[in-house]
Amino acid sequence: MTREKQLLALKVLGGVVLAIALLAFPLVFKKPFPQRMMILIFMYALLGEAWNILGGYAGQVSLGHAVFFGIGAYTSTTLLMKLGLTPWLGMVAGIFIAVVVSIIVGYPCFRLAGHYFAIATIALGEIVAIVFLNWKFVGGAIGLFLPLLDESLLNFQFHSSKAPYYYIILAMLVVTVFITYKVERSRLGFYFRAIKNDPDAARSLGIDLTRYKLIAMIISAALTAMAGTFYAQYVLFIDPHAVLPLMLSIQMCLIPVLGGTGTIAGPIIGSCILIPMAEYTRVYLAGKVSGLHLFLYGLLIIVFAVFQPAGLMGLIQRYRRRG
Amino acid sequence: MALLEINNLTKRFGGLVANDSVSAEVNEGEIVGLIGPNGAGKTTLFNCISGFYRPDGGSVVFEGKDITRFSADRICREGMARTFQIVKIFKDMTILENVMIGAFCRTASPERARQEALKTLEFVGLAEKRDIPGGSLTIAEKKRLELARVLATQPKLLMLDEAMAGLNPMETHEAVELLREINAQGITLIVVEHVMEAIMTISDRIVVLDYGRKIAEDVPQNIAVNEEVIKAYLGERYYARNK
Amino acid sequence: MQAEMLIQTLVSGLLMGFLFSLIAVGLNLIFGVMDIVNFAHGDYLMLSMYTAFWLYTLWGVDPLFSLPVCAVLLFVIGWVTYQLIIKRVLKAPMLAQIFSTFGLMIFLRNAALLAWSSDYRAIKETLISGRIGISGVFIPIPQLVASVGAIITFGLIYWFMQRTEMGMALMATAEDAEAASLMGINSDRMYALSWGLGAACVGVAGALLSTFYYIFPEVGYLFGLLAYIIVALGGFGSITGAFIAGIIVGVVEVLFGFLVAPAFKYVFVYLIYLIVVIARPQGLLGAR
Repeated sequence: MTREKQLLALKVLGGVVLAIALLAFPLVFKKPFPQRMMILIFMYALLGEAWNILGGYAGQVSLGHAVFFGIGAYTSTTLLMKLGLTPWLGMVAGIFIAVVVSIIVGYPCFRLAGHYFAIATIALGEIVAIVFLNWKFVGGAIGLFLPLLDESLLNFQFHSSKAPYYYIILAMLVVTVFITYKVERSRLGFYFRAIKNDPDAARSLGIDLTRYKLIAMIISAALTAMAGTFYAQYVLFIDPHAVLPLMLSIQMCLIPVLGGTGTIAGPIIGSCILIPMAEYTRVYLAGKVSGLHLFLYGLLIIVFAVFQPAGLMGLIQRYRRRG
Repeated sequence: MALLEINNLTKRFGGLVANDSVSAEVNEGEIVGLIGPNGAGKTTLFNCISGFYRPDGGSVVFEGKDITRFSADRICREGMARTFQIVKIFKDMTILENVMIGAFCRTASPERARQEALKTLEFVGLAEKRDIPGGSLTIAEKKRLELARVLATQPKLLMLDEAMAGLNPMETHEAVELLREINAQGITLIVVEHVMEAIMTISDRIVVLDYGRKIAEDVPQNIAVNEEVIKAYLGERYYARNK
Repeated sequence: MQAEMLIQTLVSGLLMGFLFSLIAVGLNLIFGVMDIVNFAHGDYLMLSMYTAFWLYTLWGVDPLFSLPVCAVLLFVIGWVTYQLIIKRVLKAPMLAQIFSTFGLMIFLRNAALLAWSSDYRAIKETLISGRIGISGVFIPIPQLVASVGAIITFGLIYWFMQRTEMGMALMATAEDAEAASLMGINSDRMYALSWGLGAACVGVAGALLSTFYYIFPEVGYLFGLLAYIIVALGGFGSITGAFIAGIIVGVVEVLFGFLVAPAFKYVFVYLIYLIVVIARPQGLLGAR
């Protein structure tokens, strides 16, 4: 067998092993803690991938992405509570609204340069958060408790075990990664990278900047909203503090930045590192030292920003190039 | 009908008139040179007709279509492309990927874009370096890359902004040959240049700007002895002294 | 009665606005020179406020006397921040720069949380407690002193930038660092100076603020957020713009809080930012 074929066979084998391991995980680890950990890792990896499309590939740094997460969560939840609509359709509605909002918001803002754009996204995120905090219809600051329904796929609720949630979020992550993969290889992906590298050169080559930034925004918003609905159905309680805060927006970009923006593996790696760290510090140090995990977060962010801006993927790529 | 018509184009920056009612025509298949002392308004003119600046007066007509208010990307899709004075390479992409961006202007398929890009790279002689990141090239190679990239958009009219700047004599000679080959394929060229020898040898016609105004338009031999042109470049006193 | 309340509201908004301006000017000093947004700016404010608090609580030092201490301390902190962190991300992509100061923000905020708990503190009695009344309008003296202090500091900064050699060197570096270094201006030292000065502004603001505002680890969050909005509104790089925008924000905040609903007052601040910046992408006085 040639060297190339060997490498390919190894990759396929590795992929199969990984797939089996992921699928078998909940069957082997039956306790809630590890399952919960994996669910969070998958969800944040998804959020990171979604943010990455706009921020990592197209280079538009959004620090207000929680807005779409919140829209997804609130839309499906409100439709469920007021109309009894199944969360799956609610999810579609949430995606739709998130897309519309992203267009309305993106269109005027994309003409803003770097810093101004980033701050505009923060401003928008804060406006939405404040509005939802004071909006009685969606529960205001108190939030919404989702009604407990019979366990079923249609109801998108499971009580006896977390395993179904595990598989659902895993499926969503796979879909997201697949979409990112397709985008990366298509003209869209190339155009995004051109826009990020040099917008003027991109224009001179026939690229309509606003149009493609909007496309990146739409894909990103849709995927983020999808995760929002999942979260609502998983936790069965949402409030502005959980689904709309600035910290969440920051986390959404921290994960791809840590792992490596502009790559598919980046957000996954970032999530695999950041989430367990956050969970462990939160669980084992909670009560006594609130904020320790954030303290370490901060330190980690500084260290990475200073020493390895390309994220862990950058490290890996540099290592690969040498070898 | 001329391929490109520039009619009384005017562009102001505050109080400064960078382009003052400039008119010119470019016919299909021609190579037109655009020269003038520094600050004459050459790059401003380029930016105005390629959609990067919005003109304050006048119009630009390409293939009979008024493109004065078109956006820069739309103008490229219409078939009029340009390069930049300071080369703008996509640093985080390989040479091949750089050119593919240009090719994507005419096709949405990555496979076809790749083929087109490879063909263009071979044409400019950069094919072996195709997987090297765009950032690590010499100036001459970067210029050739930019050329390949813009050629991949299949332009009918190509505008080159100081394509020879920073090249040594041999590289300049190669560049001139390359431009001739491009023209031979039917692509009309407008070339802004400071390297006099290059532009004199290659152009069918030369347009001269000074202080934002067109002061001469003629074949190269006549431009070289044109009073106004000499005055613009070397000053009144030199002209008077050497008359 | 309404008119009186309105004037009262406007006055307090104006006074707060001057303080916002000072904080924003500090942020802009850094950005104008180095093109880096300091996301930890609000937490510098927090540190300054805690400094004033502890000096008062442990040794009975009135905040007005702590002011120079806070200013100097924050200058040092800013300078150190530059040397340890910022210097290394000067050439890095914008995202890395954003995250370096962002990480610092989270780090400082939670360090304060760990060290001093989330309890709200306050300085009860200072030399300038109390209020004065002018034709029915009550002006709290601490706020008044704070505004005056802010204006004086802004004046000093402005004078420094326009009239002293070092200030002009700073402006030269802001405009074109390469050209400035060719003229013999050490950009490294200028960058460190801008961080120190920017932080010192906030140091002054913190000492002034501590005389009438609650002190807690999260206090930097809102002030910091407002500072970025103000700087962007005024136009990145324009100190005067930041000053004016600060006043605008102070007034808008209380005005809309009064006219519409207190809960939504910041919404209007953010909206003003969005409207201004979409209509005029470079902010009020920013360079194109």
